Amino acid sequence: MKKKCNWLCLLFLMGMTLSFAQEKTITGLVTDQNNIPLPGVNIVIKGTTTGTQSDFDGNYAISASEGDVLVFSYLGQRTTERTVGASSTLNVQMEEDAQALEEVVVIGYGNQEERKIIQNVGIVKEEAIENLQVVSADQLLQGQSAGTQIVNASGVIGSAAVIRVRGVNSINSGSQPLIVIDGVPITDTEGNTLNRGGNTDINPLSYVNPNDIESLTVLKDAGATSIYGSRGANGVILITTKKGRRNSKTTVTLDVNTQFSESTDVPEILTADEFRQFKSEVATLQQGTPVSPEDLGLGSIGDPGTDWLGGVQRTGISQNYNLGVRGGGEKSSFFFGLDYSDREGFIIGNDQQRAAARINIDTDVTDWLKAGMNLGVTNNRLARVFIENEIDAPFTTAFLQSPVVRAFDDEGNFVQSGSFIPNIFARVALDDRELKTFRVIGNAFTEVTPLPGLTWRSEFGMDRLDTEETTREAEFNSPGGLGQQVSVREERWLTNQTLNYTNTFGDDHNLNVLLGLNYEETMRTRLNVFSTGFLTDDLRNLGSGSTPTVLNGDRFPSRLFGLFSRVSYDYKGKYLVEGSIRRDGSSRFGANNRFGYFWSAAAGWILSEETFIKDLNFFDYLSLRASIGTVGNDRLGTFPSLALYSAGAIADYTGQSGIIPGQPANPDLKWEESETLDIGFKSTMFSGRLNFNVSYFKKTTSDLLLNQVLPPQTGFATISRNIGEMENSGWEFDLSGVIAQTENFNWRLNFNLTTIDNEVLKLNEDAATDAQGRRIIDGPIQRAIEGESLNNFFLIRYVGVNPQTGDAEWLDVNGNITTNPGSADRVVTGSPLPDFSGGITNTIRWGDFDLSVLMNYSYGNDVVIDGLRFADGNDAIGGIVNIRRQNLNYWRQPGDNAFLPSPTSSTFNLFNQRSTQQQLDASYLRLKNVTLGYSLPQKVLDRLGGIFSGVRFYGTATNLFTIKRSEMEGIDPEVTDDIDPLFQGESFFTAPQAKTYSLGARIQF
Amino acid sequence: MKTIKLIAILFGLLITFSCEDRLDVVPEDSVEAATVFNTRGSINGAVVGIYSKNQSGDLNGMAQLMSDFMSDNVNFVGSFPSLQEVDQYETLATNTSIDNIWLDGYELIGAANNIVQNLPDVDLPDLSATEKAKFIGEAKFLRALTYFQLVNLFAQPYQFAQGSNLGVPLQLQPFLAESELSDFQLERSTVNEVHGLIEQDLLDAIASLPENPTNIAPFGTDGRATAGAARALLSRLYLYREQWSQAADLADQVISSGVFSLTPNYDFYDSNPSSPENLFVALNTPTDGPQEPTISDEVYVNFYNPAPGGRGDAPFSQDLIDTFAAEPGDRRFDELSQAATDAGGNNTFFTTKYPDVVNNASDGMILRMAEMYLTRAEANLRGGTSIGDTPLNDVNAIRARAGLPALGAVDLDAILLERRKEFCFEGHRRMDLLRNNQNLRPGGGPESAPGADKVIFPIVEDEFTNNPNITQNPGNF
Repeated sequence: MKKKCNWLCLLFLMGMTLSFAQEKTITGLVTDQNNIPLPGVNIVIKGTTTGTQSDFDGNYAISASEGDVLVFSYLGQRTTERTVGASSTLNVQMEEDAQALEEVVVIGYGNQEERKIIQNVGIVKEEAIENLQVVSADQLLQGQSAGTQIVNASGVIGSAAVIRVRGVNSINSGSQPLIVIDGVPITDTEGNTLNRGGNTDINPLSYVNPNDIESLTVLKDAGATSIYGSRGANGVILITTKKGRRNSKTTVTLDVNTQFSESTDVPEILTADEFRQFKSEVATLQQGTPVSPEDLGLGSIGDPGTDWLGGVQRTGISQNYNLGVRGGGEKSSFFFGLDYSDREGFIIGNDQQRAAARINIDTDVTDWLKAGMNLGVTNNRLARVFIENEIDAPFTTAFLQSPVVRAFDDEGNFVQSGSFIPNIFARVALDDRELKTFRVIGNAFTEVTPLPGLTWRSEFGMDRLDTEETTREAEFNSPGGLGQQVSVREERWLTNQTLNYTNTFGDDHNLNVLLGLNYEETMRTRLNVFSTGFLTDDLRNLGSGSTPTVLNGDRFPSRLFGLFSRVSYDYKGKYLVEGSIRRDGSSRFGANNRFGYFWSAAAGWILSEETFIKDLNFFDYLSLRASIGTVGNDRLGTFPSLALYSAGAIADYTGQSGIIPGQPANPDLKWEESETLDIGFKSTMFSGRLNFNVSYFKKTTSDLLLNQVLPPQTGFATISRNIGEMENSGWEFDLSGVIAQTENFNWRLNFNLTTIDNEVLKLNEDAATDAQGRRIIDGPIQRAIEGESLNNFFLIRYVGVNPQTGDAEWLDVNGNITTNPGSADRVVTGSPLPDFSGGITNTIRWGDFDLSVLMNYSYGNDVVIDGLRFADGNDAIGGIVNIRRQNLNYWRQPGDNAFLPSPTSSTFNLFNQRSTQQQLDASYLRLKNVTLGYSLPQKVLDRLGGIFSGVRFYGTATNLFTIKRSEMEGIDPEVTDDIDPLFQGESFFTAPQAKTYSLGARIQF
Repeated sequence: MKTIKLIAILFGLLITFSCEDRLDVVPEDSVEAATVFNTRGSINGAVVGIYSKNQSGDLNGMAQLMSDFMSDNVNFVGSFPSLQEVDQYETLATNTSIDNIWLDGYELIGAANNIVQNLPDVDLPDLSATEKAKFIGEAKFLRALTYFQLVNLFAQPYQFAQGSNLGVPLQLQPFLAESELSDFQLERSTVNEVHGLIEQDLLDAIASLPENPTNIAPFGTDGRATAGAARALLSRLYLYREQWSQAADLADQVISSGVFSLTPNYDFYDSNPSSPENLFVALNTPTDGPQEPTISDEVYVNFYNPAPGGRGDAPFSQDLIDTFAAEPGDRRFDELSQAATDAGGNNTFFTTKYPDVVNNASDGMILRMAEMYLTRAEANLRGGTSIGDTPLNDVNAIRARAGLPALGAVDLDAILLERRKEFCFEGHRRMDLLRNNQNLRPGGGPESAPGADKVIFPIVEDEFTNNPNITQNPGNF
């Protein structure tokens, strides 16, 4: 009894103490370093959950007692602590956080303080991209982040960029990274992209309005990607769209610009008269008697001809309009984005209209429940042209078509070309190829915080892509006309359920635990119908043709179920460890390998927290980190493991339904697996003015899906088996610095460099072998070699034209001169993989002017322009095709340093066979994007009545100039006609990149 | 408040159902191999599928086109290097065009083997013994046709060494999940052995196939094999093997069966498959689609037709134009050719036997009645017999239809000339020259002489690198 009483007394006394403490209302103003009021600053009494936020004018009020410590925190400002004293007014001036290292960064299924990240991630922040004027989101990443390489496949609007995170990690299963928009992994199946010549598909990122993007995070090492399990092997790009801002004035940003585009590099080819002259000279020499152009059926000198290449190009004029509305109150915030662009490419017939809208909204329902939604809708209409290596591709055909062929007769009507190379003007003008797409990507989420530190986030997301391509070829081009309609719908719905627990134990032990579940269902539905036999061109649609045919009508379902967890722990923010694991089940894997486990472990040490580093007074921040782990690649197709008989048109006969053996069984089929080791350090020096980060990685990919060739007597060409092994290793360097920082002048420079070494460790046992007995995958231009790189140009070495004999000369396999090389003389002659590549970004602010200069570069890589076999020499396709101007320089007499051998030489028609004659050094430094902006000063804004909070005028030029080898004259170094890793750096006549100039204004109010 | 939180968490747990059962997704547009023999319908479908494989433009289209330009009927002006190689007798084992013939051939054979090996053990209530035998007979007919095509292209003819030379591998097993790869790496059998299998397959087919074609809409025929087609093919085999009386006898059986007949007009090319002229054609329609999943491989139609629409790569050779010009008024030239510009810009003539440039769906000509008359004529002439009719009457029957006057006498050259004019662009010419020991090109050199290394194709690289037991043909491949 007595004891009990004591306890009660104690409690009573404590209560007294509490109630007697001098609780009072503290008020004050929070400002930034420039004395401008800061709204939305979080103010918390230290050690409690009691807190408030500053209002629109930076004022706050909070009940606190003398001796309490108030913690003021705000994004981008150094967190400030103040002790409550006798006064009830406490004004606080916050300081900008120079290091900005405490920013929160989006990572897989969560966020993390940037300074504590021990994953290897490339971060592209809003300030790095807000002034960049780009038309497609992938361009925001170009040159910005080490280890991430983006090559625009061509200047054709709508063609995909080749995106690689740390090189090529797969041979047959795709090497594009997984793209996740606000937590929704978007579909990027090749089958929904409707290839049109040159295996570059529709760009999946062209469906995101770049103006809506707040930041991009590139997950590179296993520590970052293994949480994406069977889909992380090629890296992951997380795109975060702009969110509203709490407690802030609503801002409206209107951006309007006009863009002019033209081609960058185009080779010079012969005019009609040059062509006639050349052909007659050559024939005269070869036949020993004068041969006139008329004799060759080329018409007379001075007769009309056609500038095909000039005719397929134009100056494209584009308009872009963009509206963003951003704001928020105490409990909710929102972002609306609207975008409309009307683009014209520099190639005739290539136009695009895109309209996009976005709503991102979130609200606090109660103090423990938050809900929100991110939704983006894009409607796209693309007038397509074939890209290349197709008689319907304007650039290919304009190169090949003879200049003496007339496009129009004297009345201005189209003329048939008379050969299989069509009148491309007529094709483009009369045929319609329209691709309409509608895509919705979004999710709705709730976040429940049942206990402090514990968050359950529940997301339901969808990605729905409707694609419809309508083709109508006119009578003139296809007798009887042809109509085709391909519609592909790819829909994915998914849910992510995550539980996140964060706590600090005993001040020093910080723990974060994530548990999650991810389930996705994807269904691709395809309908491909075409029809021929149209009475007139005025009958436009399939039903009007006499012979409609269903080519495809099918569905491809797939499902993915993943469970994952990540645990991060740090001691005093100094020693950090993190581990993650994911178990993925996929309908694509074989019955014997339905589930895969992926894991990672990482450790980091923030040295700058140690006194011995602090004492150096040199580093603002210094950390070391290492990670190891596994990730997978699940792009195996839909049912790769089952023995199947195919049905449909391919198996039918005379209207009777049939089935044919489609693929043999492989119940062991599974994902490709990459194991990555990553080591690096990050540092900041000179009061935040210099950052230097280095990482090394080694990524070993095993179980590569290879098509093991079956003996043809099996009746099957190949079987997919997990056989191969490949290794990528390399270094990444990021150097950024503030070169100048004064009140009126600020210059930031970013430089990054990446090296990647690729080695094929193992190919299938039955692979073809080379002369040294190494296993190879052989192509006509490239060869993958076991023990060497995946990509080796493997060609006959071309030497040149011998000035004395006029013969073209090559090297045989032993390095001796030969004038009649054969396929046995092919050797490794180059590589499409650069020794190093990267980007350089300059951001300069001078008073009211801002200038950003973005360059990208690549060194040590080659390209093979296969089209030169046709555009050089005299005899391609029976000599009917046009050629480059340097061919006029043929050998005439001893001593000539000629491009083309003597017309009478036995090598004259061998000259343009496949050899290093078509292999060119593609090292370059390109001025990718220059933007100069001028913002109206506050004075002027005030004079305008204070309606506008900002007005910026800008001009942007892209691909303004390129430093490259002279042999690349007229050829764009950044080309590839195929996203297939085995054909990198090859092009036929890929249309070059566009050079664009735009002028615009951004108004904010 | 606590209750609400609890409900929220419970709700969350409910959502977190086990999704693992949902990973078993079944294909919607393919049939799992394990279920093919479960129903009569899918068995019939698997047989139809073999016909569909036979529509491959590589097997029935390109192979005939190459045979015509390797000989003297076509002046190949196209730009495809793999075809130029063939034209120049410089074919390498890596040649992609011939690779397709080999691969498509063994794909068809694999599909046929599956029926021949597995169907005999299947018993279904709605599958009669007659129908079962017919299905197997069809598979054997198509297998024989394909082996014959392959052995003619990849091996020297019977005349080279009385058939003791190497033919092609005789694979009779289907490839299943449990199969050993080594069973599919067989060495080539001799020409006689391959011919032996073809003969046996055709004899079985004659015994089990119906005499009359089945009439179905809209083509008037189901396009499937009849006993007459099997006899016709067997008569061709015997002709090539110089078994004259058997060749004449089988041809005579077809002619006298009354099921098929020589039609008065040349209206049997494309879109008239039920014409009594046709014994067996690869009946192509726009709706049954291309054989390869990505691109149409019936591109030979493109080569045979001029622009626009076609590529204009395979016009008449000058020699063939001259041959027709030597006896004017031949309906087979006047009605079956068109003047146009070829891919090289020259004015010349193109055949109109494959007119469907829009859909690339012209029928592939395989066996027709005119061949029976000319086979009977040649076999009778060389065998010194007159089974059915005299060689002179048979040749004159063909000439009469062509609008040419009757001859007073025939010799072998006259029969071969008639065969040439009748079957140009149908792929017979190369074998007709080789088996009669004539050079493939008029005034041709040793490279195109009978027995030369490259008048036949090399064993393709795909076979050669994946089969340690295979023997390559002589020649620098």
